[in-house]
Amino acid sequence: MNPIYARRRRKDIVVRGLCIAAAAFGVTWLALILITLLYNGVAGLNLELFTADTPPPGSTEGGLRNAIVGSIIMTVLGVGIGAPLGLFAGTYLAEYGRNDKLTSVIRFINDILLSAPSIIIGLFIYGAVVVPMRGFSAIAGALALAVIVIPVVLRTTEDMLLLVPNALREAASALGLPRSLVIKRIAYRAARSGLITGVLLATARVAGETAPLLFTALSNQFFSLGLNKTMANLPVTINNFVQSPYAYWKQLAWSGALLITLTVLALNIGARILGAERTAK
Amino acid sequence: MTDLSVSVSSSAHLASHPLPEAPAKVTVRNLNFYYGEHHALKNVNLTLGTNRVTAFIGPSGCGKSTLLRIFNRMYDLYPGQRVTGQLMLDQTNILDPKLDLNLLRARVGMVFQKPTPFPMTIYENIAFGIRLYEKISKSEMDDRVEKALRGGALWNEVKDKLNASGLSLSGGQQQRLCIARTVAVRPEVILFDEPCSALDPISTAKVEELIQELAENYTIAIVTHNMQQAARVSDKTAFMYLGELIEFDDTSKIFTSPTDRRTQDYITGRFG
Amino acid sequence: MAVQSDVIDDAGPYDRAKALSAFKLGDVTFYWITRLSAISVLLILGGIIISLIVGAFPAMQEYGLSFLWTQRWAPSADPPVLGALGPMYGTLVTSFIAMLIAIPVGLGIAIFLTELCPQWLRRPIGMAIELLAGIPSIIYGMWGFFVLGPFLANTFQPFMIRIFDGVPVLGAIFAGPPSYLSLFNAALILAIMVLPFITSISVDVFKTVPPVLKEAAYGVGCTTWEVVRSVVIPYTRVGIIGGVMLALGRALGETMAVTFIIGNSFRISSSIFAPGTTISAAIASEFAESDGLHQSGLILLGLLLFVLTFFVLAAARLMLMRLEKKAGN
Repeated sequence: MNPIYARRRRKDIVVRGLCIAAAAFGVTWLALILITLLYNGVAGLNLELFTADTPPPGSTEGGLRNAIVGSIIMTVLGVGIGAPLGLFAGTYLAEYGRNDKLTSVIRFINDILLSAPSIIIGLFIYGAVVVPMRGFSAIAGALALAVIVIPVVLRTTEDMLLLVPNALREAASALGLPRSLVIKRIAYRAARSGLITGVLLATARVAGETAPLLFTALSNQFFSLGLNKTMANLPVTINNFVQSPYAYWKQLAWSGALLITLTVLALNIGARILGAERTAK
Repeated sequence: MTDLSVSVSSSAHLASHPLPEAPAKVTVRNLNFYYGEHHALKNVNLTLGTNRVTAFIGPSGCGKSTLLRIFNRMYDLYPGQRVTGQLMLDQTNILDPKLDLNLLRARVGMVFQKPTPFPMTIYENIAFGIRLYEKISKSEMDDRVEKALRGGALWNEVKDKLNASGLSLSGGQQQRLCIARTVAVRPEVILFDEPCSALDPISTAKVEELIQELAENYTIAIVTHNMQQAARVSDKTAFMYLGELIEFDDTSKIFTSPTDRRTQDYITGRFG
Repeated sequence: MAVQSDVIDDAGPYDRAKALSAFKLGDVTFYWITRLSAISVLLILGGIIISLIVGAFPAMQEYGLSFLWTQRWAPSADPPVLGALGPMYGTLVTSFIAMLIAIPVGLGIAIFLTELCPQWLRRPIGMAIELLAGIPSIIYGMWGFFVLGPFLANTFQPFMIRIFDGVPVLGAIFAGPPSYLSLFNAALILAIMVLPFITSISVDVFKTVPPVLKEAAYGVGCTTWEVVRSVVIPYTRVGIIGGVMLALGRALGETMAVTFIIGNSFRISSSIFAPGTTISAAIASEFAESDGLHQSGLILLGLLLFVLTFFVLAAARLMLMRLEKKAGN
């Protein structure tokens, strides 16, 4: 074998090896994180977790009921406010504003908001909602989550609607369908699974968001359904318990982390399955 | 050439005497059309006769589809397009900027190159357009859907699976579903934009047969790149080239004794 | 199969114009709802900027530009002394180390997934990497705090400290004592977090390379590595840089993965094994209990972070758009 070729081959093999090592490295982290999470989290999974509220310092009884309920309320509210806005905004970009200067500006800004630090969103809602309302509140937390939901849903909505063939829109217009009905009855229906995927991904994104809740919803040791008061939620509770000196609190933090991760993974996998169905069609 | 003339002369439709001149349904006067800077249609003049089939032929890019898409102002969906001249549907000025486009499109239906069933059931595909304009009872609606599907020559094939998705049909069936959907809204004019270019020969034959039957009740314009199809289905044929209407006459005349050199070259296959 | 003549005949009295006019209002309303929703994106951006500037104004007035180069952070002093140097240093250093680790590994995985991996393994590994991107950052932070921090403090850190002891420069960078809470630990967690972003964008970007280009290179006898180095990477360079910038934007602003294990120390130390802080960690750990000038100073830190990430992310998007244009042509 000629020596130049041998050297090229050796180099190729080394690089291939490094790439395989990199892939192994990435997958290993995922496995390590999931294993520790399962190992530590499962130990605390019991009925009490869902029926009892967060314990006072030092206590070894209690669960996460108030935090779980609070997280669900704020996530549902946040998605409930943010998803329609994102959906309509994405609709404008894909359907009405395709050749609009405004559209490219909005798309650019939206892409930046999509990756903007979530703690900045927290600061924004603190200044825009918490200060005028003179207090931390669940509604402020939900609004912070909504601001994070909007760019995610907007982006997927626009992408999915752009995939709907124009022929379908023309065919609907040719029947005399007004523009809004072409969109609502035909384009939305054709893109349905993609649109749901977007909402699921956005829900997954905010279900574990902590930073924007730290000083909007704050947290609450007790069970509360009032939207204008502080509200317990899983991420901030975990944040508080992790750094505490109490073993039982740490245990609860692990269990809460497991709950969040399983929820988020389930949402992500659900979204992916829906998305795959769509491409298979 | 020989092959073509055989098929033309054997066409039952053309063997009969030329049809009497029909009253005009659509009148085109000095029509010009621009895509941005591009002058796509140049001073086109013609009429579509009531309950007649008019075919538009010509090499690709000649403007035949563009012309068709002006009849229902489909070009309005996209920016940067401009039209001048006069275009009348009976007494209605189609080019009137204040015209209600949805109303126009209810009167002028369109069937597209690729079948475009809506993502819903077969029944809903038909009922959808009807519901847009009329509030009728369930039994009336069942009736209308059946009539429309019969009108699209599809009823016998789908009557047992009306709740199946429109996308589950074969390509030819989908195209007839689209025709039925168009008929259901009760238009006066139906535009066909190369309706058979995505279909196999058997489906094509069914759609062609259907078009001729539809001509009893509707004024029809069909764009096709298939000259024999034009010869088979149409009463009048318009030959277009580079945005101009070169020749417009009875189909039998165009295919047997065209007056323009370019028409002759095209139908004999010398270019296109 | 004849067309029923009654299709036309029994048309009955109905008024299309009237039916359609019922939709007019809905049509206009829907248009404006979507348009205003789209504009709300701009309002959010405007709101963020205004609320940050308003909140940061007292601190800007008090400290002026010296805020940028003051290291001392003493909110309870009278009057409070606040400087952004510590958190800015920590933010940049952790992001830099994180990118140093994540870029080669992320690209390596992307090359593995697009060029080397057997078809059947592609989906599971790709999926695993994408799921890694979906895990909330607080889980990373918690895991770093309980598992990775102690592990590094007991193994990797003492090892590095021993090796570089006495070596100029490097000795100062890897100086002891080992700590659960350090810039390096935070950076490693950040690297693991941004890894999936870099990988998934690089995979997308690699897919834009026309297969014929790669085939041509293989055709003249290039090895896989040579094809990647001389065809794939040059062709997609702009996109890769865009993806890296996007990941950098994430790393700069990441909060929860970092807060637990960075140590929240505003002092700048030459050693990456020493505790430090980042802008987002400082805000996360102090904001809820802050008031007055202290709070305003934290908002000013937030404003700095926002400006920094805005430019990084904007540059990233512009680069990705350039690649998209190229792929479109």
